[in-house]
Amino acid sequence: MNDVYVVAVGLAGVMGAILGGALPVSSRVGAAVALTWVSCAAALGAAVTVLSSDHVITLSTSAILPLTGVTITLDPLGAIFVIPISIVAMASTFYWLGYAGHGLSSRSASSAMPLFVTSMLLVPFAASVATFLVLWEMMALTSLVLVLTDQSRREAARSAAQWYAVMTHAGAAAILLALVLLSAHAGGQTFSDIEAHARHLSSAVRGTVFVLALLGFGSKAGAVPLHVWLPKAHAEAPGPASALMSGAMVNLGIYGIVLVGNRLLGGGPVWWWLLVSVLGVMSALYGALYAATSSDLKRLLAYSTSDNMGLILIALGASGLFGASGHPTTAAIAMVAALLLMVNHSVFKGALFLAAGAVQVATGTRDLDRLGGLMRRMPVTGIVFLVGALSVAVLPPFNGFIGEWLLLQGLLHGLPTSNTWVVISISAAVATLALTGGLTVAAFVKATGIGFLGRPRSDEATAAHEVAITMRVGAGALAALCLVLGLVPMLVLPAIERAAASARQVNASSVTSGWVSLHLLGLRGVLAPSLLAAGLASAALVVIVIRRIAHRRRNAWPAVNPVEPWGSGRKLQTARMQYTATSFGEPLLRVFDDVIRPSRDLDVSHLVESRYYIERIAYRTSNDDVIERHFYRPFIAGVRWWGQRARSLQNGSVRRYLAYGFVALVIVLVAVT
Amino acid sequence: MNSATYLSFLEIAAGLVILCAIVTLWRRSLRAIVRALAVQGMALGVVALVLGLHHHDDVLIVVGCLVVGAKGFFIPTLVKRVLANEPMSRETSPLVNVPASLVGAGALTFLAYGATRPVVALVSTSAGRLIPLGFATLLIGFFSMVVRRKAASQIVGLLLVDNGIALVAFLATAGVPLLVELGASLDVLLVVVVLRVLAVQLWSKFAVLDLDELQELHD
Repeated sequence: MNDVYVVAVGLAGVMGAILGGALPVSSRVGAAVALTWVSCAAALGAAVTVLSSDHVITLSTSAILPLTGVTITLDPLGAIFVIPISIVAMASTFYWLGYAGHGLSSRSASSAMPLFVTSMLLVPFAASVATFLVLWEMMALTSLVLVLTDQSRREAARSAAQWYAVMTHAGAAAILLALVLLSAHAGGQTFSDIEAHARHLSSAVRGTVFVLALLGFGSKAGAVPLHVWLPKAHAEAPGPASALMSGAMVNLGIYGIVLVGNRLLGGGPVWWWLLVSVLGVMSALYGALYAATSSDLKRLLAYSTSDNMGLILIALGASGLFGASGHPTTAAIAMVAALLLMVNHSVFKGALFLAAGAVQVATGTRDLDRLGGLMRRMPVTGIVFLVGALSVAVLPPFNGFIGEWLLLQGLLHGLPTSNTWVVISISAAVATLALTGGLTVAAFVKATGIGFLGRPRSDEATAAHEVAITMRVGAGALAALCLVLGLVPMLVLPAIERAAASARQVNASSVTSGWVSLHLLGLRGVLAPSLLAAGLASAALVVIVIRRIAHRRRNAWPAVNPVEPWGSGRKLQTARMQYTATSFGEPLLRVFDDVIRPSRDLDVSHLVESRYYIERIAYRTSNDDVIERHFYRPFIAGVRWWGQRARSLQNGSVRRYLAYGFVALVIVLVAVT
Repeated sequence: MNSATYLSFLEIAAGLVILCAIVTLWRRSLRAIVRALAVQGMALGVVALVLGLHHHDDVLIVVGCLVVGAKGFFIPTLVKRVLANEPMSRETSPLVNVPASLVGAGALTFLAYGATRPVVALVSTSAGRLIPLGFATLLIGFFSMVVRRKAASQIVGLLLVDNGIALVAFLATAGVPLLVELGASLDVLLVVVVLRVLAVQLWSKFAVLDLDELQELHD
């Protein structure tokens, strides 16, 4: 019975791809969405079965892949990754029904989308090296097609796709090396073989495998400094695709690290997890900083993804550190926190990207400096974005809060350990959490305040209209889920605890209890999300009532002539007098000037008649990625230089090319002889 | 046929194959070179025939006849047609002159003997001793592709490579399956046809059959 789920996931995806490519434009998106939903529903069914019954789905066939066959196993760890992917995919594809009219109804897009979703859903099912790599590669290629489908910004999309293709294949090469090395030393390519033998490998092999896997999967998760593709590809991908990439695909990077580090290798020494923590701290700080200073809406969201993946890496690293230094309780809490952060991030980042896609459809721009006043023109999209922003800014009663609370509890209770390095890194992680929290709030106050409040800063924003009903429903469902998960996290916590236990290969033991209030077992920590929400709501009510009363009393006073504040007595205020995203980020840019090093360009042109009169002042700043500028660009320039040197090898003479082959053959033969 | 005559026939035929390869390096007249190629193709067919008669392998005899037909007559005729454009065609200025090419061929034959020792050790039959000759033919063919300028010489070099491979295959395995041999021959035939078309195009565009002219097409 359970095999049917797995077959249905794959079959529906392939059928969707075929129909999406074959049907005429009127019906292809509908068919693709319907079959993607079938695929998602089947995957959801499989995951729920596994998580609710401790029953592991396994399936193996020698039919699909030659030589190796396909091996499939779904355990609780994989299942907890399948659930957010399928939920985000269902919402995004429903949203796609409305978005398709805005340049996402081509054959290639309708064919790539179902395959992309299915391959993402199936990656956690894979239980052998060959199966995993094939699905991983399929996911990368189909998402690459989706990045390229936005025809309106062809140049930018092409450049983003190039970065993405190179980075994802470099990452895939690292993963391939890691897994092949592992299976060669373990003497088998199924994950169960590897698991059985991995503990007996030399520490050098285990360390190499882990570092390679961390690099490969870290680049997929957008960990700094391997993140450069993420703000480009996630920003250029069309709405539903960017929600899927940022809400679902990055999770699989985390899955890969847990899979190799915890499951296959069965945990490791302290330095592994220190490395993960350092990567996490860097990603969190860097992502939050760039999110706070970016004025492109989707780029901001993409950097925020890097930031959130950093937090998850911190939690994973902390779990490993506590595990390696003998603190199972805090290790379990940190692992649960990591998975909860992952689930929450999928939901709110999906909602945010779908809302951003709606803004782009309605106004044709993602530049915050040209938006404004959208809350009145697009109320549903605005509220979805607001809910997402409150979640990502870790404010109760939304879901972002619970995960980070759990992580902080784990970190703070884990502080009294013996290892100096662990103590230092945990303190640094707590400080990082505090700083990124602040920066994230700044980033999303900016995104919401500049983008949705105030008055429109351009004609496009003035003319914006609310988007199609399917788009509103798709994004709104995820936003509603943000609230539900924030009020009753116990809906998912038991499943996450089971998955965390399966990841750490211990028997399932709950670390939290309680339905209304959340108790951390083994530690002193209680949180009652619903009571907190009720308290917040009543406090808000009190404030509103008091303001009403005060307002009424003020109206009793003699009438005053209202003047706009800071208007210098003028009645007229234009939209251009408003705060912009750039000006909002300016103070932060100044504080972190040494890190970001923005390029500033002041161009003053004088009148010809006199130098005392200025004709025009042009001031340009750009805060492009500092890691890209200082590490990737010089590397690319170096590669290009070598490429130019190598061109002199080819002069077009056929005989010369033959001579290269002949000389190489003779040298090899002489060496062999 | 007893084993002594069988071996001497085999040695003569295989020796003829490499001798023809060396002749293609020695002669400058392209007609003579093509004639040597035809003789080599026939010798190769004879190797297959002798092996087939000795092992009473009917398929190998059929292959031998086909090889004589294809490599001894058909392909040389095709190459000869390329030359029809240039009646007095000679390899006037090869990159390496004739004496030096012959010394090079000697060195390559030594290399072939050295490099195939492990292969010879593997093959138990007495025919296995002759494998280095096939390998040397292959290397000489490659060498002549590098040092010769005319399009026809290039085709001949390629065919030498193919004949060398075929000789090694016959001697090492007492005949590859008919299907494989036919497939390989068909491949080479196709390459020859393509090269012939290329040569004709080259002639009509540049009025030469000198591959160095193609350098102009470099980006």
